[in-house]
Amino acid sequence: MRKRSICSAAALAAMLVLSPAVRGQNAARQTPPPDISGVWQIAKPQGTLFPNGGAPLTPWAEAKFKAANPQTNDPNLGCLPEGMPRFMLSIPLPMEIFQTPTRVVIIREGVQVFRQIYMNRDHLKDLDPTYSGDSVGKWEGDTLVVDTIGLKDSTWVDNAGLPHSEAMRVIERIRRTDHDTLVDDLTIEDPSTFTKPITAQRMWKLKPGWEIQEFVCTENNKYTFQGK
Amino acid sequence: MKKNLREFPVTAVLLLSLAGATFAHHGIASWFDMSRKATVKGTVTGFDWTNPHSYIYLDAKDEKGAVEKWTAEMGSVGMLVRAGWRRSALKPGDEITLVGKPSKDGKPRMILDKVVFANGQELVTSDVQGQPVEGSRAPKE
Repeated sequence: MRKRSICSAAALAAMLVLSPAVRGQNAARQTPPPDISGVWQIAKPQGTLFPNGGAPLTPWAEAKFKAANPQTNDPNLGCLPEGMPRFMLSIPLPMEIFQTPTRVVIIREGVQVFRQIYMNRDHLKDLDPTYSGDSVGKWEGDTLVVDTIGLKDSTWVDNAGLPHSEAMRVIERIRRTDHDTLVDDLTIEDPSTFTKPITAQRMWKLKPGWEIQEFVCTENNKYTFQGK
Repeated sequence: MKKNLREFPVTAVLLLSLAGATFAHHGIASWFDMSRKATVKGTVTGFDWTNPHSYIYLDAKDEKGAVEKWTAEMGSVGMLVRAGWRRSALKPGDEITLVGKPSKDGKPRMILDKVVFANGQELVTSDVQGQPVEGSRAPKE
């Protein structure tokens, strides 16, 4: 009886060790996530997601998009933050990523807000919409998957003025493809605005020696809503 | 005015377009003619070392002595610092030449590519990656 118990315990231990779930946990413990910290500069800040037209807009969104004029009513002309995802698509200024096990923080020069990606929780309930939104992240292998909701609908999605609702969700898959390169694949979902999800990719280049500089947009802004 | 301002087409349109992309306020680049180059010589009257953009103000005299007040616009302080600029780079009274892309509406404004000092030294703005917008000597400290 006692011998049988020992055998059973050994078999159970062997099963646990060999089970995929436990192996995965051990692997997760043994293999730290990739290091994506550092100062990165966007390789090609393309400000317009649909330069040739054809954005998959709902009628409501189409009307709002037609009223957008980058020279007169872009919210950013008055120095309001571009907001997510625009500040990950088009701003020609660098970002610095700080990485801890529980949070990834992105300081984005020039946008006056920072991003906090929480690695240890789900989205909060009853979110107040903000410019950066509520971001939660997880590592899938070498890829940081970030889910962002809770975004203000007063911002533009791109420099051309693509609108969005407060229900917009942005999924990013961020990975370091080589030592000097970070790739961010973005998927933008907002069924009341877009008839299908929008995708975009931005590449970032590591900039050793660069430091994030102060950027107070209202200091000497000559581009409030009246244009020049 | 015409003596001081020479404009000519530029073939490196792509390069200049990238330079325009260094502006955080994106509508701005569309107000300037990225396919042309303006060269203006005169006296510095002011230098805004500021965000979101920095500015050089310059009085240019034509052959009759009439003053035209030019404004050269640049990117953010951060971009300029990384391109080797400092707040002390310019001061009122400096005799310089501005080279850049002129405003489409004919007003005396430009997006700056570089400053050329009287001794030939140049201070060049950068593209997004921090590279000079055109081949030039590196600025001296």
